[in-house]
Amino acid sequence: MNTQAVEETVSVQAGQSDKDQRSFIETLRGTGDVVFVDKEVHWDLELGAISRRMTEIDGPAIVFRNITDYPGQSIFVDPISTWRRAAVTLGLPAHARIPEIYAEYIRRDANPIPPVEVKDAACRDVIIRGKDVDVCELATPMIHEGDGGRYLATWCIDVTKDPDTGWVNWGTYRFMIHNKQYLSGWPFPLSHAGKMLQEKYLPFNKPMPIAIVMGADPASHLAATATTRIGRDEASLAGGLAGHPIEIARCLDSDLTFPACAEVVLEGEILPDRNAHEGPYAEYPGYRSGEMGSGILMKVNTICYRKNPILSMDCTGFKDCSSVVIALGGGVDIQRGLERAGVPVTGVYVPSEGAVHLCIVGVSKGGREVTEKVLHALTGRRTYMTKILVCDDDIDIFNLSEVIHAFATRCHSRRGVIIKDIEKGAVALAACYSQEERARTAGATAAFDVTFPPEWDRWETPVRATFDKMYPAEVKKKVLDNWKSYGL
Amino acid sequence: MEYQAHVRHMKDVQEGKKLVITIRDLSPGKHKYTGRVARVQVSRTPEALANWEKLWVHSVVGLKDPQPWGMKIVEELGITVPGKPYSDGDDRVHG
Repeated sequence: MNTQAVEETVSVQAGQSDKDQRSFIETLRGTGDVVFVDKEVHWDLELGAISRRMTEIDGPAIVFRNITDYPGQSIFVDPISTWRRAAVTLGLPAHARIPEIYAEYIRRDANPIPPVEVKDAACRDVIIRGKDVDVCELATPMIHEGDGGRYLATWCIDVTKDPDTGWVNWGTYRFMIHNKQYLSGWPFPLSHAGKMLQEKYLPFNKPMPIAIVMGADPASHLAATATTRIGRDEASLAGGLAGHPIEIARCLDSDLTFPACAEVVLEGEILPDRNAHEGPYAEYPGYRSGEMGSGILMKVNTICYRKNPILSMDCTGFKDCSSVVIALGGGVDIQRGLERAGVPVTGVYVPSEGAVHLCIVGVSKGGREVTEKVLHALTGRRTYMTKILVCDDDIDIFNLSEVIHAFATRCHSRRGVIIKDIEKGAVALAACYSQEERARTAGATAAFDVTFPPEWDRWETPVRATFDKMYPAEVKKKVLDNWKSYGL
Repeated sequence: MEYQAHVRHMKDVQEGKKLVITIRDLSPGKHKYTGRVARVQVSRTPEALANWEKLWVHSVVGLKDPQPWGMKIVEELGITVPGKPYSDGDDRVHG
């Protein structure tokens, strides 16, 4: 493997996102953010172990092109597990700073572009239906030792439809192989798909049509992971993020629509009256925390894929794709929510190291009252964050070194900590929760007031002892201009 | 043949006890880890370990008991089992 990162020489033309996964891979090749493995690698743990290590060293994405038992199939691992690849997804240079990536996401998110429906889908090269379906024919890794099974759907778009409103939901939910024709999955019960199933299908004992899509364009995957409101068209969001309309196609067995460029599509239905074991599975929090049991069961009726398909995979765990893409879309969603709640928010950062448990909020005016407002705004139907830091806007919230310094020094250990119990809606994957709390989706969120009290006299408020704050502008300029001449 | 299973409470897997569990086939090849539900009896007696199938048990967080059990399949219960989504029939499915 050539893991050496080279400075990118190409950026996506005209700020547009790539139109399919294969062109995305080529763009990443140009920026030095993908490597190709042609040595034979076994799907049973070896592929997962290589990918996990690469993820943890912030390495490039990997395309495995020689997988034991699966000649002709490849797996593209960790499409967007770094901020560099998130930047490329949005058509930015790979070296774009995180605040620039957020700003670009916000701009594109505000300008959705409706999809265009086409008749042909790239995945129709091979079509397998009915009793011939065998999901084990798709290259599916056993990602971590001790997982409940082989997770086929990790970097995927799961498509479902509200039968009343017609809203088509694109989400990213895990599914593992149970047997030849069955996948068991675990969308969080309060997720859009989970609610749709429980409210619109189960009361009538009806199966819910579903399609699992792998290897689509990066903007469609990014849209599927976004924490949008119920009813928002994620295909249009994907178009906005991509900067061009997404081509969508209809399933063979239902009227569900999916990105027409996808490499692989599995069509089927969630059964209302059958079940199978699901989990446990090592997930984005960086733990395998015991989320296991009867989730939902998909009977797969049709499999379609491109010739020599390139499947997609998130090597879940510490610093995986989920922790970056949810940090991005979720961070933007949080900022909007805080603005609606009247918080004087200046920025939001959900660092991937915090695994979607830690949120850093910059505010122009702090204090306990503002911190409480932030806490209440971020503990709603689904409470992902267990720790929230509310920081003054003189702190660069995207610089963890500055944030830790501020947290250690400005947060009063008694007055600066506010805790809210969560009785329902806590994310059950948080490692700090007991098995009993997980079963109840109960937990707690702590908000830390990392701001100086606004009522303090500004002439008496401590000043940071840093280069930026301790010297007059002319001295700083002189020092910076002469830095090399000092022999430094 | 060898199988693996995940259980919510390791203490529920006891000498001579019958359990309903999802067993996953560990035979090498494309169908490794495919599952089905069965009522099984487990034992660590020398006879069971020598003559029965081998079962590797994992905990709810996926930790593997380093000592296998001998397992006799008492009744095959099918690929899937009756149950509503999210109903978590763990008592039924996982012993």
